[in-house]
Amino acid sequence: MEKIVELKKVSKVYTTGEKEFKAIDNIDLSINKGEFVVILGPSGAGKSTLLNLIGGMDTPTKGSIKIDGEDISKYDENKLSDYRAENIGFIFQFYNILPTLTVLENVDVVKDIVKDPIDSFEAIKDVGLSKHINKFPNQLSGGEQQRVSIARAIAKNPKLLLCDEPTGALDSKTGVEVLKLLKKQCDRNDGSNTVIIVTHNSLFADIADTVIRVKNGKIESVEKNSSPKKIDEVKW
Amino acid sequence: MRSLNKKLYRDIKFNKSQFITIFLMIFLGVFVFSGIHSYMDGMRISGENYYEENNFEDLFLVGENFTKEDLENIKKIENIKDAERKFTIVTTLLDHDDVTLETNFIESNHISKFYIVEGEAFSREKDGVWIDSYLAKNLGLTVGEKITFQYKNYEMTKKILGLITVPDHVYAIKSENEIFPTHQDYGFVYLSIDQFPKNFIFDELRSKNALLRNLENQEIESLISDFHIEDYYIFNSVMIDVDDVSKLEDTKEDIESNISSAIAVTDRNSNISYNSYNSEVEEGDTYSSVFTLLFLFIAVLSVVTTMNRFVRGQRTQIGTLKALGIKRNKIILHYISYGFYISLVASILGVVLGNFTLGQFFLNMEMTYFEVPIYSTKLLPIVYVLAIGVVLVVTLVTYLSCKKILKEPASLALRVEVPKVKSTNFDITTKEIFKKLSLSSRWNLRDITRNKGRTLMAIVGIVGCTMLIVCAFGLLDSMNSYLDWEFEKLSNFRYKLSLNENYTEEEFELLKQKYGDQTSKTYGIEIKTGGNKETNVLTINDALNKLRYTDHNKEYMELSDDGIYITEKLSKTLGLTVGDEITWHIFGDDNWYTSKIVGLNRDPQNQQLNATRKFYESLGLNYRADCIYTDEDLSDVEILDGVDTIQSINNLKEGMEGMLDTMKSMVVLLIVVSAILGFVIIYNLGILSFSEKNYQFATLKVLGFKNQYIKKIFVKQNIWITILAIAIGLPLGFLMTDYIFKSALSDSYDFNANIKLISYVYSIIGTFVVSFIVNKILSGKIKTIDMVTSLKGNE
Repeated sequence: MEKIVELKKVSKVYTTGEKEFKAIDNIDLSINKGEFVVILGPSGAGKSTLLNLIGGMDTPTKGSIKIDGEDISKYDENKLSDYRAENIGFIFQFYNILPTLTVLENVDVVKDIVKDPIDSFEAIKDVGLSKHINKFPNQLSGGEQQRVSIARAIAKNPKLLLCDEPTGALDSKTGVEVLKLLKKQCDRNDGSNTVIIVTHNSLFADIADTVIRVKNGKIESVEKNSSPKKIDEVKW
Repeated sequence: MRSLNKKLYRDIKFNKSQFITIFLMIFLGVFVFSGIHSYMDGMRISGENYYEENNFEDLFLVGENFTKEDLENIKKIENIKDAERKFTIVTTLLDHDDVTLETNFIESNHISKFYIVEGEAFSREKDGVWIDSYLAKNLGLTVGEKITFQYKNYEMTKKILGLITVPDHVYAIKSENEIFPTHQDYGFVYLSIDQFPKNFIFDELRSKNALLRNLENQEIESLISDFHIEDYYIFNSVMIDVDDVSKLEDTKEDIESNISSAIAVTDRNSNISYNSYNSEVEEGDTYSSVFTLLFLFIAVLSVVTTMNRFVRGQRTQIGTLKALGIKRNKIILHYISYGFYISLVASILGVVLGNFTLGQFFLNMEMTYFEVPIYSTKLLPIVYVLAIGVVLVVTLVTYLSCKKILKEPASLALRVEVPKVKSTNFDITTKEIFKKLSLSSRWNLRDITRNKGRTLMAIVGIVGCTMLIVCAFGLLDSMNSYLDWEFEKLSNFRYKLSLNENYTEEEFELLKQKYGDQTSKTYGIEIKTGGNKETNVLTINDALNKLRYTDHNKEYMELSDDGIYITEKLSKTLGLTVGDEITWHIFGDDNWYTSKIVGLNRDPQNQQLNATRKFYESLGLNYRADCIYTDEDLSDVEILDGVDTIQSINNLKEGMEGMLDTMKSMVVLLIVVSAILGFVIIYNLGILSFSEKNYQFATLKVLGFKNQYIKKIFVKQNIWITILAIAIGLPLGFLMTDYIFKSALSDSYDFNANIKLISYVYSIIGTFVVSFIVNKILSGKIKTIDMVTSLKGNE
């Protein structure tokens, strides 16, 4: 299978004063195209750092990170911006949508940076928010806001969708809806899109194609799930 | 609560640029307030003390001659404590370039006493001269040195016995065309009356009495029985000290009806020196209250907004502290500490430094014009009250913002505040025309409407900054325009010869032959308005080509021979207009005349009456010139027969320009302080809006937007605000300058603000430069936004 992410001997060290803290410690990891990947681990394990490194929000202290064959670890800030703009969609626990823009405008934002975006109306329709297109974020519920953030990510038509605790702030029913939307993203572009979700919720393991367990900055295990469950089959 | 103190310390440390700007704004506001007030109050009080300690005269009598009997009669009048006679003439200082001396001969010195800067005290027996210390300093004259000065043909060479200042010469100018004295070509000297040239007295006797004409001085002495030269001394004024100032009007009337030698009886308010000093203080008072209050207002407004937002930003922390069970009062105390300590330290520093630096600087500058020997800045209670008020307002606002959050249950306060928004239907920025705007424009528009307080503060701050810059430039422009008006338009001559009161017809004819026949005569007059009598001046103009007039629009106007002209400002003060009649009489002549006002003219600094010679003579009055105006070159001429002073318009103008140079340094200082305040306010706004948008910018960064693009969004809003604020600030700046000129200047001035286009351009550029630098600094921060930390912060 074609690889979308390839990490070789990657470390991320934070230095505070004289103390060093290894958030990521000499990791080797690869992820295939079109997979729905879940990174599991307790808090402080280094999951979010790993996600940020893959997403080009942070740079490694050591090692190389290849995305679709391109080594992004040596990119400067400008190139990283382009990389994020063209390849990455981010979903956060607290949505991070712009409060002064309407739903449509929040999605439209990406038009300014992406060469070939998906139509904003379509992306919004996909997440089921067509009725709320002209509302401001604070007129929406948490689940709806998270859907805006998914619509924004979808509109970029990214190769990689990176999600950090995407259901962390939602009730289980809404969480399921959101997960379904994320899963659907894998099927776009003839199934070549990859979705990586970081969570501490082990139930996610059942629905993933690949489950990566992280502990103390190291990869504890990588499991391939030959028959992932459907989202509705899992008891949340 | 040690840990809370630690929190206080750390919060300040982590938000240091915010707190430094708060500190600076309060400091600058109080600094300027304290500086300007301590200077104005210092000036006023130093003057009052000087007048009090050196017994400045309460009343002043002018006449042809006051005899010994007159003096005794004056002293007998009720309420008069003491009286002293004085003989004042104008002499020319020899061996110096164009220096005129007001020369006073006195018998004693108990009223308007000398302040001896150096040398010995006055005594009638001493043979020597006491000289104006300011003039002496500029001319390099010292005690012990001899000077020679000339009155008509009489030269006097005297040793300098003392360098002095005198309370009735705090302000003395060579000519009414001047505003500020230079102390270089004009000053005063005092001598004992016994030092008055004896020859002059004998010559006068010879000229009046044909029998004495060919006799020597000694022969005259022996011829006149019981001859005492003192009996022939002349005294043309009397200074009076009264017991009770509240009875001054009665005393004046008593003198007017009992002392026939007194042509005019005036009080301190008619004294040019006293009046000019007081007007300067009053002008300063208006100026300082407008300027400093605006300054302080802007500063406090910015601080209050910032503190309010700071406390609101600490909302979840307040919730946490409350949830932890920390008492309400402790939390409030903790939060008001931020505002309290910073504003306290800034206020104290502002008061102290403002007084010692800015106040002292301005006062020193004023005192190069005004002769007040001992002066110091004064901090009146109002300054302390205001400084304390600033601390209280800042503390109160912090308290109220904190209290508001504490009112909510801890659980609610723990959550990030949800901004109140009206429904999309009411947000016009979601409507048609706005849809065409770029996303960043819409984003900024909404950011502005959702942060009205912050935006308003920013606008007010920049408006204030622009106003102050416009005003500073405007003061300079207006003064320059006044110079043009006075010296280019109205005075169309190179030299003005002030004639001696007793010039002879021969002397006058000779002068006319040499220098032309353009002359004028100025009379002291009294005007009847309603029941009141007012002192004023009437100029009879027989020099219509040289001494010109301007109308309301400062265009030239011709005088007709049909009546009296009065200046526009005076017409307003008196409530008179063209067609009305005015009743007046010349001092020393009891005939009253009623004349028609045939026109209004405008004059920047003399509000008075004017008429042509033809009109004057049509009343049956005899015209005798007291000034000749000429374009001849008189730069090498020191003395002319029949002439008291020779005044060069160029020297006057140079003197005024010199004064403007000093004013320029004051203006530059004001511009610099305004620019700093503007800078701090805009920077503060920037930091506020930057820290509030931090996470939104981080989000945009994550999405893949480049720093350049985010900078553009950020700067766009600041530029909008700056443009809007400049648009408001320019006209307001004009109005403020106009207000200062119109209401701050005393009644004798008629200027208005006259600001050049280029000054507006400078103000715009100045404000933009400040805004640009701030934007540059702040947008540099966008690069440093750490996406990971910023987004975490939002959680």
